[in-house]
Amino acid sequence: MTRILVIEDDAKPALEIEAALSDHGYAVETVDTGRAGLLKAATESFDAIVLDRMLPGGMDGIAVLSTLRAMGNDMPVLVLSALSAVDDRVRGLKAGGDDYLTKPFAFLELTARLDVLVHRREMPERVIKLRVEDLEMDLLTRKVSRAGQGIDLLPREYKLLEYLLRNTGQIVTRAMMFEEVWHYRYDEQTNVIDVHLSKLRRKIDLPGMSQLIHTVRGSGYVLHAPG
Amino acid sequence: MRLVDLPRTSSFRLALVFLALFGIAASILFGFLYIRTQDYLIQSVDSWLAREAPGNYASPVPAIIARFNAHAQGDTDMDRAFTLYSADGTYLAGEALPLPNPVPRFDQPFNFRVPGGQHTRMRFRGLAHRLESGDIILVAQNMYDTREFDEDFVGTALWGSVIAAALGLLGAVIMGAGTVRRFDDVALAIQRIVGGDLSKRLPTQGTSGDLDRLGHVVNGMLDDIERLMYDVKGVCDGIAHDLRTPLTRILAGLERAQRRARTTDDYAAAIEDAIVETQGVLRTFSALLRIAEIEDGPRRAGFETVDVETIARDVVEFYEPLAEQKDLRMSFSCEGSAPYRMKGDPSLLFEAISNLVDNAIKFTPEAGFIAITVMDRAEGLTIRVADSGCGIAVADREAVQRRFHRTEKSRHMPGNGLGLSLVAAVARLHDMTVQIESLSAADDASGTIVTLLLPGHGRAQAHT
Repeated sequence: MTRILVIEDDAKPALEIEAALSDHGYAVETVDTGRAGLLKAATESFDAIVLDRMLPGGMDGIAVLSTLRAMGNDMPVLVLSALSAVDDRVRGLKAGGDDYLTKPFAFLELTARLDVLVHRREMPERVIKLRVEDLEMDLLTRKVSRAGQGIDLLPREYKLLEYLLRNTGQIVTRAMMFEEVWHYRYDEQTNVIDVHLSKLRRKIDLPGMSQLIHTVRGSGYVLHAPG
Repeated sequence: MRLVDLPRTSSFRLALVFLALFGIAASILFGFLYIRTQDYLIQSVDSWLAREAPGNYASPVPAIIARFNAHAQGDTDMDRAFTLYSADGTYLAGEALPLPNPVPRFDQPFNFRVPGGQHTRMRFRGLAHRLESGDIILVAQNMYDTREFDEDFVGTALWGSVIAAALGLLGAVIMGAGTVRRFDDVALAIQRIVGGDLSKRLPTQGTSGDLDRLGHVVNGMLDDIERLMYDVKGVCDGIAHDLRTPLTRILAGLERAQRRARTTDDYAAAIEDAIVETQGVLRTFSALLRIAEIEDGPRRAGFETVDVETIARDVVEFYEPLAEQKDLRMSFSCEGSAPYRMKGDPSLLFEAISNLVDNAIKFTPEAGFIAITVMDRAEGLTIRVADSGCGIAVADREAVQRRFHRTEKSRHMPGNGLGLSLVAAVARLHDMTVQIESLSAADDASGTIVTLLLPGHGRAQAHT
């Protein structure tokens, strides 16, 4: 079972996060100070850590994170923050955070991001081909084919598909795609990404073929084999 | 402020300090002049003595007696004295002056005093010479003139200082009173502003004096505060209007579910609806928070050198499918020489430009066009989004940049009325100006051009 350590000092959000992650099928441990969190992270093994940026008692999230990294611990860490200032995000990522989420957030966003973080660890470092069902992507030649038929993709569509393929079976949210594929970061609220996705889908899921790209209502998309 | 407070004003004190300094300087000057003049007078007496006295030394005694007596008769006020004494100091001829006893020195000028007739004490400067016969000649100059000059001089200096002090004090009072009056005006204006009259401004006199400069700065700040107050008011109104509707819908949906829902599916549908509505409300709130956060300005610390062309191109590419859906021609071009660099936050700039493009797509009817241009012109780096849409009326052009403001044309459109205020906030953070025009000057409704301008952005800066 996937184990997640939540380091969050506010009792109520901590409970909510714990509940959401448990519902998602994670085993969750929650601590409420930076010190306790560091101790637990250093002595036990977790698949990912959810770390609040602001913690009481002299050791804040960034300090926990940099200490952890200095100790050579490379557990995936998702930093939570009430501040959405870009400085804060940059500081969080510089200290060794793997992802960053601004409060308030939808729990679906949190679980989706954690899934990707946990999953990323299991992926082999060097892959040449990504493949789901009869959809194939060659990362060297940048060729994409479905059932042996070559598919022409625009550069951005290629990146989008690559991201979906790398996270096969994981829900990816619009925000995650926007960050990963367009490399800008803000709470994109239009339906433009959906339009991009539907264009991509028209090229991948041709009529008569099984559907690979699925919409997850209210949160995002997932690419997986039928059934 | 009352007149009693006058001595406490800084300008009054300053004037007094200057008055004191002036007094000291004037005293030094007068003293110097006095000493020099005295020197000069004594020197001129000495040179007269040296010129006049030796002429008598060679004459025989009777001739001297005759000449001196003749001179004494002509010179009644004893201006200059020529007197002959015997060797033992007895008066022989000339002006009736007693010989100083003892004579301080011979053949050198010296001062002496005589108990006189009209003048109680007469001051002389004289030269004594002993003739070969042993008789003594005394040639002297009455120093009465010098004394008179002294008195005049001191009197003038005294009166001068009294007048100067009076004038200085008067000046200090006038200056102090002027300052008191101006400060009173300013204090009054501030009190009225504190009292709630935000349109009141500090009085300025149109000069570039120090108080005026301060007034201008404070007035600029008041302009900002007034704008912010109106903004806050607009936001409150906006929140009231824009959030009441979804909240009412959520409540209605939940009440309906409470009354009518029978199956789990009914409840699930009601919850789904409520979630969607709540997400909308949350989105509006977070958009508001973001604008507030951007306006706070701490992001400037995270600025980096960004290539505006890349960002604009990314926006265009991002929106391309949406424009295609509406059959809009979207074009991107650059004018001037690349690269188009500035200090900024790429995500915020992307968001601002995409808000403009999003608006352009929203308000341009099918088969229209949208043109995005990045320019490096003389007046600065410019990002321009032009469309052939419905345009923004001149009267609305300021207002659309305020939060929640929606024009009549946009009421039925989806959106929260925050797009352009976010653009304005981002622009302000980047020291850019936002300008809204119509495509043709004659017609408001002939399409919109929104220009973001970073003024004074020359080529030299672009490469740093």
